[in-house]
Amino acid sequence: MTGGYALALLISIGGLALIDLRHRVFFWDSPIRAALTLTTGLVAFIAWDLWAIHAGIFFRGESPLLLHWNLAPEFPVEEILFLTLLCYSAMILFVLGTRLLARIRTRRSAAS
Amino acid sequence: MMYWQICAVVLAGGLGMFALTRSRGARVSLGAAAIALAGLTVATAVFDNIMIVLGLFDYDRDTLLGLNIGNAPIEDFTYPLLALLILPGVWLALGTLSNADWRTILRSSRPVSWINTAYPFAAAMLITRGTVDGEFIVGTLFFLIPYNLLMYGVNDVFDYESDLRNPRKGGIEGAVLERRLHRPVLWTGALLALPSFVYLLAVGTPLSGLLLILCVAGVLAYSVPPLRTKERAVADSVTSSLHFVGPAIVGLALAGAQWTPALLCLLVAFFLWGAASHLFGAVQDVEADRAAGISSSATAWGARAAARVSVLLYLAAGIAALWIPGWGKLSALLVIPYLIVTLPSWNITDATAESANRGWRRFLLLNQFTGFVITMLLIQFALTHVPA
Repeated sequence: MTGGYALALLISIGGLALIDLRHRVFFWDSPIRAALTLTTGLVAFIAWDLWAIHAGIFFRGESPLLLHWNLAPEFPVEEILFLTLLCYSAMILFVLGTRLLARIRTRRSAAS
Repeated sequence: MMYWQICAVVLAGGLGMFALTRSRGARVSLGAAAIALAGLTVATAVFDNIMIVLGLFDYDRDTLLGLNIGNAPIEDFTYPLLALLILPGVWLALGTLSNADWRTILRSSRPVSWINTAYPFAAAMLITRGTVDGEFIVGTLFFLIPYNLLMYGVNDVFDYESDLRNPRKGGIEGAVLERRLHRPVLWTGALLALPSFVYLLAVGTPLSGLLLILCVAGVLAYSVPPLRTKERAVADSVTSSLHFVGPAIVGLALAGAQWTPALLCLLVAFFLWGAASHLFGAVQDVEADRAAGISSSATAWGARAAARVSVLLYLAAGIAALWIPGWGKLSALLVIPYLIVTLPSWNITDATAESANRGWRRFLLLNQFTGFVITMLLIQFALTHVPA
């Protein structure tokens, strides 16, 4: 199914957005700051990908799940969505992890 | 080159970034980073395998170390590591400014005007090349936000003193930027512009690169001393117009357009329209600018002469547009509403110059209609000219 991969990525990003919305983690905490952080991550990962493609290490797959839209040689549009998903997941896990640890710490200091 | 060598360099860069953000006040909780890393590593192990099996991407197997988790090469686990070296630090470093501060910084780029620079670039490239590719997307994003932060944000920094004395600042026409936000605005503009700027230089031709550099230099020269062309008669309107024609020229060069006489007429018409508009905008400020000790074409020539030159430039733009072949000729008609808006100021005096603000407000509205008609003409052109 053409576009299946892009669809799966969009649904996953949507799931993260729901967590974000519910707990005000990233974009729903500080939208501009979140956008700048995500952009930094995307720039770093895209540079890495392009380097590895240029070095002949990465190739676009032949899966029928891919759209036929490449932003650069061997660089399908889905890669942007994938990197967004990776960075967004990292930040949601990190911020929620920070909150969890802070909660444990306050609970512990309240108990002692 | 082996994949692990790239990973090593990338990780070194990530560590550098971590140290940099730490020196900028980011105190990343290592515990939270470890939790996130554990989660992402598990996700990588699961999904990398699925994605490889589905054939979504592939590697040159000779460049891999050969250590796999299932089908996933061990090198791929550098992805979550890099994400956590960079992102939390950037997030926390940016958190040293409040949400309100970030909103102010964003507003200094004039979001209502973003489209005015992104559109000429995107239209020029899309019409010439007929496809949406990486260069089109990156270039459009560059001219959408970073370019405007470099133009208006930097302008606000260097106009700080005079803006404090201008009662019209603070709304659609710009905000007074607090001094403590000057540095963040300059840094945000520079860092946001850098990656896309470098990319466009790398993928373009020498000509498109040169034009891009000139375009950005023009944006900075407008407000940054010693050039500060906004305070020099003639140069102010010329530079200001090139802020908007420039992106179109860069787009054309990047897409490899043929510089036909018809295309040059179109660009000249666009340029004259932009210069006329800038000059007319300056008329209303004659008294305020003089009181604040700021100069412009309008303060140099007086309100009346400036208004008249502006009307004549609109007229010249219309005449230049007559040489555009086909339906494009119709765009010449678009100057008529501008003449109607500006002609009442033909006999304006320095004392009544502020009344030109009424015309200026109409001008801002009129641009929406003009943009619409130009878009329709471009679509018409695309339907008949761009190869399917």
